[in-house]
Amino acid sequence: MAFSEDIVRLCERFGLTELPDEGPVVERKDVVAFAHALKDELGFFFFVYCVATHYPADEKTEQPDRTLVTYRVRRLPIPGVRPTETFPFRLWVPTGDTTPSLTSVWAGADWQEREQFDLVGTVFEGHPDLRRLMMPEDWPGHPLRREYAIETQHFPWR
Amino acid sequence: MTVGTTYETPRAGERKGEVRTVNVGGMRVPYHLTLLERPDPYLDIDSYDPEADLMALNMGPQHPSTHGVLRVKLYLDGETCIKAVPYLGYLHRGVEKLCEKLTYVQITPIVDKNDYVSPMMNELAINMAFEALLKVEVPPRALFIRTVCAEIQRVASHLLWLGTFGLDVGGGIGGGATLFMHTFREREMCLDLFENLTGCRFHYNTHQVGGNRHDIPEGWDQKVKRALGHIASRVDEYEAFVENPIFKARTIGVGVIDPILAMELGVCGPILRASGIDFDLRRDAPYAAYDKVEINVPVETAGDAYARYLVRVREMRESIRIALTLLDGVPEGPISALKPVKGPTNVKPKPGEAYVSIESPRGELGTYVISDGSPNPYRCKLRPPSLHAAALLPYLAPGSMVSDIVATLGSLDFILGEVDR
Repeated sequence: MAFSEDIVRLCERFGLTELPDEGPVVERKDVVAFAHALKDELGFFFFVYCVATHYPADEKTEQPDRTLVTYRVRRLPIPGVRPTETFPFRLWVPTGDTTPSLTSVWAGADWQEREQFDLVGTVFEGHPDLRRLMMPEDWPGHPLRREYAIETQHFPWR
Repeated sequence: MTVGTTYETPRAGERKGEVRTVNVGGMRVPYHLTLLERPDPYLDIDSYDPEADLMALNMGPQHPSTHGVLRVKLYLDGETCIKAVPYLGYLHRGVEKLCEKLTYVQITPIVDKNDYVSPMMNELAINMAFEALLKVEVPPRALFIRTVCAEIQRVASHLLWLGTFGLDVGGGIGGGATLFMHTFREREMCLDLFENLTGCRFHYNTHQVGGNRHDIPEGWDQKVKRALGHIASRVDEYEAFVENPIFKARTIGVGVIDPILAMELGVCGPILRASGIDFDLRRDAPYAAYDKVEINVPVETAGDAYARYLVRVREMRESIRIALTLLDGVPEGPISALKPVKGPTNVKPKPGEAYVSIESPRGELGTYVISDGSPNPYRCKLRPPSLHAAALLPYLAPGSMVSDIVATLGSLDFILGEVDR
């Protein structure tokens, strides 16, 4: 699956030459401008998801403890012009660092980023209302991190 | 907030051409919906008029019209809502964490319980993602069975929605519960069909990686034709039932949705189609056997609760037609591509990731899987359409009465099991 020409051109403008199927890795400082360009210039109005995935520190590859944040957006079809298409892009966030929130671009990023903050612990900078979405407010830890054992017991919930 | 569109009779099946549209990023969007004001969901209550006598009202988590356990904190000025804050998580079961601990074949019965109104869709979405990850070709017979089941499930899901929506808007339609009983009787026929096919009325566990578990039993197609023909005639009766002034007064102009906002929030399916956007994944990005059949997508331009009702009722008819068309063309052959292996749980994809989305009765239901080469997914994100539909509430509730919020909630048709996961 290759991306359309206009997407490739936009990515080149932001210095992204590698475009695997999983999406390019965007620098954190560029991501808000990149997202605005995707939405305003290419018509990616539809917000599909935001997923954070925790990767613990790996001694073999000497990677630090970090999180992969993946966004995916979609543009709707225009009959006779283009089919519908989704476009993913990714960011690496070292643990303890923050990543810019895209709520100002797509309103749907609001709850999705809250969910990822809740479950994975990624902090989205500039989010207007960064509270837990699923778990109780006083829940210790972030359940979808790799070190969080599935049988962890917490008083008074078990 | 009444919009100036007139309604055609629901049986006409074609949409009106004279609604003025404007060009937004190449898409045609109904002009009157672009004029809607977008309320501020982060409104600071302290900065609101200090003279006003505000009241905070918790709707839910046990309120019957929230269709599950959802709490919406409403800040009311008189009877008008000025801010709504939904609180989720009452039904959070940690499905995504469970998916990381279970093997690929063990996940299907778990995700059945997500959208507990249309389990067939959950199975389809997650198994298609695993097949994309494993690069397995599903045999055509399995694809046809999946598609027919998905369409029958869509009819069952919309029937349940229509009944509970009747309860929500209440007195207008014979005390409310009458329609509920009628739709549940017809929904039972769909469940009987599934019981005949899979042995379970619900939570079927019939899809597996690479195909289906259960083949069509003898005489099943005749039963489907009889049941769907019966439901098709009943749908006409529901329309006659609901076409009364009180139902219209409760729904027309209530919960009008701006399609651009809906797209930014990721809202899809009947809600988006009722706001004038002609988009359906079944037609625009065909999966399973949907490329073998012509699909007419019902679109309405008013964007209110009544338009969503019209779209869903027409979708029911369309689904019945699709299911009956495909049922005649089910090819012969195997129903699963998987060869017998040492153990049924021995499925190990190569490291990689996949995203697959299908059109569930509520919109784009997607699954995003990351594999690290082990028998369990490294990360499995379910993209529920209901979560995005529920995110519309802080934008729809401000400015409307409490009773209208109930009608709006009902017309959005979100399933809390899927919202919280």
